[in-house]
Amino acid sequence: MSLVLAGVRYRYAGSRTDALDRIDLAVPSGSVTGLVGPNEAGKSTICLVAAGLAPATIGGHLEGVVSIDGVESSSARPHELAQRCGILFQNPATQLSGTAPTVWEEVAFGPRNLALPVDDVVDRVTDALAALGIESLAERDPTRLSGGQAQLVALAGILALRPALVILDEPTSQLDPQGTRMVGEALRRLVRENRTAILVVEHKTALLDQLADRVVVVDQGRLIREGPTDEVLSDPALSEHGVEPPPRVRVRSALAGAGLRTPREADVLIAELTR
Amino acid sequence: MPTGAYRRLNPATKLALALAEAVLALGVRGWSGPLVVIAVCVAVAIAARIARRSVLLVLASIPLLLSIVLVNTFLYPGATDPIVQLGPVRPTWTGLAAAVQATLRVVAFGFSVVVLILTTEPDHLIADLERRGLGRRAAFVVGATLRAIPRTTQRAGQITEAQRARALDTEGRLWRRVRGILPLAGPLVFGALTDVEEQTMALEARAFSAPGRRTVLRVFPDSATQRVVRWAALLGALALLTSSIAGVLEAIP
Amino acid sequence: MAWLSRQFSTRVIVLIPIAIAINIVLGFTVQKVLNLPIYLDSIGTILVGVLAGPIAGAVTGAASNLIWQYAPVIGPGSNIGPFAITAAVIGLLAGLWGQLGVYKSRPAEGMRLWLAIAIGVAAPALLILPIINNPAYTDPNVGGYPSWVYWAAVLIAATFALVLAAVAYVRRDSAAVWVALAGAATGIVAAVVSAPIAAIVYGGVMGSGTDLLVAALRQGGADVYHASLGQGLFSDPIDKTITSFVVFLVVLGLSRRLLARFPMGERLTDTASA
Repeated sequence: MSLVLAGVRYRYAGSRTDALDRIDLAVPSGSVTGLVGPNEAGKSTICLVAAGLAPATIGGHLEGVVSIDGVESSSARPHELAQRCGILFQNPATQLSGTAPTVWEEVAFGPRNLALPVDDVVDRVTDALAALGIESLAERDPTRLSGGQAQLVALAGILALRPALVILDEPTSQLDPQGTRMVGEALRRLVRENRTAILVVEHKTALLDQLADRVVVVDQGRLIREGPTDEVLSDPALSEHGVEPPPRVRVRSALAGAGLRTPREADVLIAELTR
Repeated sequence: MPTGAYRRLNPATKLALALAEAVLALGVRGWSGPLVVIAVCVAVAIAARIARRSVLLVLASIPLLLSIVLVNTFLYPGATDPIVQLGPVRPTWTGLAAAVQATLRVVAFGFSVVVLILTTEPDHLIADLERRGLGRRAAFVVGATLRAIPRTTQRAGQITEAQRARALDTEGRLWRRVRGILPLAGPLVFGALTDVEEQTMALEARAFSAPGRRTVLRVFPDSATQRVVRWAALLGALALLTSSIAGVLEAIP
Repeated sequence: MAWLSRQFSTRVIVLIPIAIAINIVLGFTVQKVLNLPIYLDSIGTILVGVLAGPIAGAVTGAASNLIWQYAPVIGPGSNIGPFAITAAVIGLLAGLWGQLGVYKSRPAEGMRLWLAIAIGVAAPALLILPIINNPAYTDPNVGGYPSWVYWAAVLIAATFALVLAAVAYVRRDSAAVWVALAGAATGIVAAVVSAPIAAIVYGGVMGSGTDLLVAALRQGGADVYHASLGQGLFSDPIDKTITSFVVFLVVLGLSRRLLARFPMGERLTDTASA
């Protein structure tokens, strides 16, 4: 198991109410888990807790067990956790270190911090850029990239630490359609070629439909549903929790509503239209 | 000295020289210190082919220099040796001497600053200092600040544009300009603070707080000669500074 | 030692470059756009002092001046480098005031509010009296100031007291009084530290509009040091009081959640309420 949350309760510093209430979650290695739910449901909080940033970096009160790649987050220092779990946020600008003149040096930021030998650093940067297909950006200025490119550079910076688990908190929400496409493709490639476990929070359920093996629904700090992607995203009760079903499911239900059965060929058509 | 030789010096050497020049220009009494600094800087500027650019940049101090000369020559308190009596105004030799002294200081210091700026890449200097033991946090602060300045300027411009649309601009009469500045400070600070959380988490997630010295990617050539020059420059400047404070250098002009 | 390393946590290391950039951008803008005797180049310094502590504040101040002086494009021609000492002192003091709880909001009503306002008005009055009555200051031969300076000082003190009372009353917050006094005190100290630097390095002038004030003071009989000091005592308290107010208002506007994460966060919020 790359990630285990057992009986987790969490309260932010200076807050009076629990943000998470008895969350149990497990992400097997090499699999992709999607996390959906309405705003303020606790999805981002789960990401911060899972990555070990809460409470270590942002304070707050945590109960329960958080285990990343077999190591309990409460017993590890932030830099040790960083090598087991990487996390990517929505805003590309704040995730880049802001100190590197080139993308290459930006991606090298993490491995350099660990005081790894130079050859090691070079290998990791090369691998990370290749994993996302952005070798061509290596000499570019990180401050002059498009949103999608910056997000991929930030992700490469995370991958350079070779974590067993990568958490993505709405990675495409601040991107235009092209940026979203870029990130979606890069994630698909990552899943195919690595054995990294991925936990991704997304409102764009179409993306989860294609990427995720399992989907978890969260509302008001509690786990509502969990299961294989197809099952969970086809559940009509999904919209009660502020989650819009993916286009595939919507087309299906529209056809069913009109009394039409969907032959297998229609599935292919739907997949093509909604890609 | 061939062109580019000064530029190719180790960044720490160029920094040490700039610091020594600064001390000599600002901290040592008399005219000799600033004159030596100006001479050295002019020589370096000519050799490194930055003479024209450096002079232009030093000229940016002209308003300050003008003020120094005018205020001190005409209004030096307690001076009793007038150059000429022009009605109510009485420029004095003492005042003029003080003005020249201060002018030399400003020009010397300004020149040493300009030479450093024009011959040294900030990133190279930070990287070299880090190799010599400067902590990753200090290196980060300097590097991040240099990149934050243009970004913050842009943000300030955006805020000002938005406020101009609401008639709180910074052009026009004085009162409007004052009113325009204060509402700029608030949003600027708030906007900056909201980024702090995410940037902090992003840094921690990339092992920024790991112990030890960061991996060095680039080593700048150094030599024994340069080491000697650095120590000589810094110790010499320190010696002159303390001598000056102790009053030992009264005899030197 | 732990107190020291806590002042330089990752969060503070992220805050400092932002604070320095704000100092430089605002300071540069005010210099170019306005020609008023205010600088507004210490907002970041005081903010860091209040949020992270005195040492962090001092480092922010000194680094701001040094980076500005040696920065490409804006560095040449500026006279800010040698005043790094002053900036460090401002940051240090801000940290001290923060530790003393000066920037903590203290909502007050009625008698408590008026008492605080009374103190705020009395303080400048008490400061002004010995200066006005001391013959050493009124004798031009001893490097004193021309007589109009005293009327100016009284006017400034009165304006200060009035503005202070107004803000405290409008916001129903007695902390406004302490913030203003802290700002004024910081300004006075800054002026005292800066005067010798200006006098020795820059012949007593700054290259800006305030030089007119310096000239006027010298015309009235003040010597180089006292003219610089006089100009400083005019500009710095005003500037630091305004800056302290801005920082106070910013801190008031931050959520408890956010404040709690900074090293000095607890001093800024009510520890009584959980």
